Amino acid sequence: MKKRGIGLGCAWYGTGYGNGFPDVSSAFVEIHDDGSATVLTGAVDVGQGSSSIFAQIAAEELGLRAEDICVNTADTDVTPDSGTTAATRQTYNTGNAVLKAVRQAKSRLLTFAAREFSCPTPEGIELKAGYIGVKGDPSRRMILGYMVFKARLNGERFISAESSTARSTPVDLTSGQGAPYWPYSFGCQAAEVEVDTETGKVKVLKVIAVHDVGKALNPTQVEGQIAGGVTQGIGYALLEELELQKGMIKNPAFSSYLIPTALDVPKIEAYFVEEAEESGPYGAKGLGEPAMLPTVAAVINAIDDAVGVRITALPATPEKILQALAEKKEELG
Amino acid sequence: MKTDVVGSRVLREDSWGKVFGQTKFPADVNLPNQLYGVVVRSPHPHARILSINSEEAMKLAGVAAVLTAKDVPHNSHGVLFRDQPVIADYVRMVGDPVAVVGAETMEIAREAAERIRVDYEILPPIFDPEEAMKPEVPSLHPELQPTNVLYHLPIRRGSLEEGWVKSDVVVEQVYKTPHVDHAFLQPEAVLAYLDERGHMVVQTATQYAHYDRGEIAHALGFRYSQVQVKTLAVGGAFGGREDISLQIIAALLALKTQRAVKMENTREESFYSHSKRHPMTMYYKTGAARDGKLVALQAKIIGDAGAYASWSVNVLRKSAVHATGPYAIPNVEIDSFAVFTNNPFTGAMRGFGAAQTVLAYESQMDLLAKKLGISPLEIRLRNCFQVGSITATGQELTSSVPLDQCLAKIAPYFRSEVETL
Repeated sequence: MKKRGIGLGCAWYGTGYGNGFPDVSSAFVEIHDDGSATVLTGAVDVGQGSSSIFAQIAAEELGLRAEDICVNTADTDVTPDSGTTAATRQTYNTGNAVLKAVRQAKSRLLTFAAREFSCPTPEGIELKAGYIGVKGDPSRRMILGYMVFKARLNGERFISAESSTARSTPVDLTSGQGAPYWPYSFGCQAAEVEVDTETGKVKVLKVIAVHDVGKALNPTQVEGQIAGGVTQGIGYALLEELELQKGMIKNPAFSSYLIPTALDVPKIEAYFVEEAEESGPYGAKGLGEPAMLPTVAAVINAIDDAVGVRITALPATPEKILQALAEKKEELG
Repeated sequence: MKTDVVGSRVLREDSWGKVFGQTKFPADVNLPNQLYGVVVRSPHPHARILSINSEEAMKLAGVAAVLTAKDVPHNSHGVLFRDQPVIADYVRMVGDPVAVVGAETMEIAREAAERIRVDYEILPPIFDPEEAMKPEVPSLHPELQPTNVLYHLPIRRGSLEEGWVKSDVVVEQVYKTPHVDHAFLQPEAVLAYLDERGHMVVQTATQYAHYDRGEIAHALGFRYSQVQVKTLAVGGAFGGREDISLQIIAALLALKTQRAVKMENTREESFYSHSKRHPMTMYYKTGAARDGKLVALQAKIIGDAGAYASWSVNVLRKSAVHATGPYAIPNVEIDSFAVFTNNPFTGAMRGFGAAQTVLAYESQMDLLAKKLGISPLEIRLRNCFQVGSITATGQELTSSVPLDQCLAKIAPYFRSEVETL
């Protein structure tokens, strides 16, 4: 018989290295004579899309398009150290470093432009749609690249270097008391499953994921992180286990170490909540790791809801479910 | 704040190259006249190497070099402690590298690797962390700890005694999670060579180029400024590319032979050359009052660090800090342990110790809700962190704690379920 159930899982995650470990990101920025710009940072884009986020941050500050920004990363001869792509820290930490660096270059650009436009204060200058000009006076503006070129003739360049450090303190080794991480990220997911009581096989039909992101800097990438996280979470809940025999791996191949395939991925509905984290770039915090956390609980709790058995050891294989069903039957006599 | 580019669905610049197959992963880059490197790995989980005979391997035409532990200038690396050998003369896990072959083709290198004879003195292995913790069991890393307990973090808050008195319902359960592989699609690959400046250039896929540079420089005795690590496209990482895998070995082979060196793991080699997710045993006892409020948690979490420390200290710290789940619990006793064994070494993986505990604390929530006669959603709403909540480590959550908003968005799915029942 096939039985359906729904389960809920919540999770939280302290982002950053934590525990007072120096959590520093750095970025170099150069604004070019043609109105494009380059960002250099050590942060590796491992496929999650951090380079796009940095381009968006620089573009936003300079009134350009993301494609006007070249982000160069992770070449130790060229880029400054920005820490590991880990701990859900690149959007938040390196994002902050990029923001600080681009604002530093921009502030000198605004000062130069204010002089050029005879505007009393740099606050009166704006960067918008590839132009630089005096706020509220469309007659006093020019193409950004031309202003940067004019600056070159005056011996001024807009190049900057900045770093950003996350806040955290070590915990006390006898009481565990302290403020080890900041910020924390939250989320919850619901999984709908179908359990076959004859075979013990669990099929995840649908996952609804709601995550706290502070501010979604790129909603497509938020959805991508959630889809990947949910899929990895399903693998953790139902499939993945390294089989060891006297320290030897018995299944070092994808034919025997099973991960979800496209056919195992359910319908995923991804939502996010935006409550700005004041210390993050534009209020953003990371989502990389949190996206996978609640899935395992949602699936395990859904199995219980469907067939009334509690799986306490991952993964919830058909064998374990059949055994739990048999034990339950025995108990009921 | 109104924004134009931030918050928009900007297309990733790297997507075109990936879709059209133009993206260069480290397996795709080669240099003319490069050597191919292959690692000989230990089949034993715990052993001392008595001797290595590479004569038969060197006789094979096309073999340029066989390197062993004695060829490494500074034979150690590690993210937290440098407790892992580049090439081992003392083996702590199956898969530890014991020799490296460099040859004109991958086929010759693999055949030569088969011909290398290693004489091991087999030592008694230990695989069960709870056994390994015992004080009488010899430490696998006496240079770090006198026992195999690499790390223990106790978290104490409130009074557990008081907590149990206030508990109307108590749920006690043991949870277990297995070793998990990152299973990234692209196995480790490296191209290493000395450039015209005499600098060591290493092209690879890593999560932290500057860390790799430091470890390569340390092992080879180079300055940081003489090592260039250039990250090519990364085919998945998930924490499995934080520790060093082939980077130092390839660079060492390039240095010794003065040739460009290419290395690429098979899938099987890949399983042995990066960390795993920590398996954990989690003993949980949670108490709640009749009103659904959590009042007590006692948790003991034991994580298998395997053969080397890697990030185990940080991972088990994270497990302990997150053990309550996102809920306010006034009386707490949490103990987490990272324990050395002769299993594959464990380290960073997406979730980093906070992924395992979700199984425990969220299962406990459902079991408590059932005992209390309230819904899974209700028990979470009554306990979830808010701005101003204090965590088990005594940290006040001062801003951006919108778990209640997340739950509000998901609530309709549970309400409709109730209606159909």
